[in-house]
Amino acid sequence: MLSRVVLSAAATAASSLKNAAFIGPGVIQATRIFHTGQPSLAPVPPLPEYGGKVRFGLIPEEFFQLLYPKTGVTGPYVLGTGLILYFLSKEIYVITSETVSGAALAVLVIYAVKKYGAVIGQFADKLSEEKIARLEEFKQSCIRYAEDGIDFEKEKQAVVQKRHYLFDVQRNNIAMAFEVAYRERLHTVYREVKNRLDYHISVQNMMRRKEQEHMINWLEKKVVQSISAQQEKETIAKCIEDLKLLAKKAQAQPVM
Amino acid sequence: MAGRKLALKAIDWVAFAEIIPENQKAIASSLKSWHETLTSRLAATPEKPPAIDWAYYKANVAKAGLVDDFEKKFNALKIPVPEDKYTALVDAEEEEDVKNCAEFLAASKTQIEEYEKELERLRNVIPFELMTVEDLNEAFPETKLDTTKYPYWPHQPIENI
Repeated sequence: MLSRVVLSAAATAASSLKNAAFIGPGVIQATRIFHTGQPSLAPVPPLPEYGGKVRFGLIPEEFFQLLYPKTGVTGPYVLGTGLILYFLSKEIYVITSETVSGAALAVLVIYAVKKYGAVIGQFADKLSEEKIARLEEFKQSCIRYAEDGIDFEKEKQAVVQKRHYLFDVQRNNIAMAFEVAYRERLHTVYREVKNRLDYHISVQNMMRRKEQEHMINWLEKKVVQSISAQQEKETIAKCIEDLKLLAKKAQAQPVM
Repeated sequence: MAGRKLALKAIDWVAFAEIIPENQKAIASSLKSWHETLTSRLAATPEKPPAIDWAYYKANVAKAGLVDDFEKKFNALKIPVPEDKYTALVDAEEEEDVKNCAEFLAASKTQIEEYEKELERLRNVIPFELMTVEDLNEAFPETKLDTTKYPYWPHQPIENI
C-alpha cells in the first residue's frame, strides 16, 4: 500500500516535470525544456555513443555525486544497505517463492548479459552499418549518375563545336569544283587558239611543199620536153663513145 | 587570265567523322571521296596554261595581221569565273544549323544546371546516421513507402524487401 503511495508520488513528480511552468521549490530541474514553442533542432542531434554511467546497472553516477559532499564515498552504500534492511525487517518487501525465482532469473540474466552482451551489440551494429552502407551506395550512385550526365553533356557540347567542319567540306568541294572548271576553261581557250595558229602554219607549210613539188615536177617535165629528139640521139652516141673509151682504159689498166 | 586565290579551309577529318550520325555515314563518305577526287584533279591541272609564243607565230604565219588579230583578241578575252550559286545554299544551311545548335546548347546548359543542382543537394544531404525516416523520404523520394497503394505493412510488394 505504501508502495502505491510512493508510485503515485512518483507519477505526480513526473507530471510536474512535464509542466515546467510550475517550478516547485526544491524539485530537481531536468536539462531538457519541453514545449517552449521554439522549433526543435533539425537534424536531430546525434545520440550519445554511450549512456550515462551507472553503478550496479541501476543507480546513476549523479546520485553518488549528489551525496558525496554530505556523506563522503560510503554514504550512498550505507543508505542503500539501510533501506534494504529496513524493507526486509519491516516486511515492506515480503520474501515469497517469487523472490527465489526472481533471484535465479536475475542471476541468469546478469550472466547472459555479461557474457554475450557485447557480441549481440556488435551484431546489431553490423546490421545497422549494412543498412547505412546500402543507403550510402545508393547516394553515391545518384551522385555518379549526375556527374556522368554532366560529362556527357559537356562532350556533346564539344562535338557541337565541330559541326562547322561539315559545311567547310561542302564549301571546299564547291570552291575546288569551280576552280577546276575555271582552269579547264583557261586550258581549253589556250588549246583552241594554239590549234588555230598551228593549223595556219601547217597549212602554209603544206602549201609550200606542194608548190615546191609542183614546180620541180613542172621543171623536170619542161626540161625533158626541151630535150629534142636530135639532141637525144647525139647525147646517147656521145655516151656510148665515152663508155667505149672507158672500157678501153679499164681493159688497159689490168693488163699493166 | 591570272588564277584566283583559292581559299580552302583546313579540314580535321577525325572531327568530321565524329559529328556524322550513323544513318548518314554513306553520304559523308561520298562527300569525302568527292573531296579527294577534286583535290587530285586540282593538283593535276596547272594553274595557268603555258604562254603562247606570239613572236614565233608572227614570224611564221604568212597572213599578215592574223597573228596580231589573234593576239589582241586573246589578250582581251576574259574567261568568266563560274557563277557560284551553291555556296549560298551551304551558308543558309549552316545558319539554320547554327540556330539549331544554339537551341541545343541552351537545352544542354539547362540540363547541366539541373544536374549540378542535384549534385549540390546530394552532397549536402545530412549523414545517414543522423537521419530519421522522414528525413530519408525527403532526401530520396524513392524511399517513401506508398501507404495508399499498399495500406498494410510492409507497404511495398513482398519482392522488394
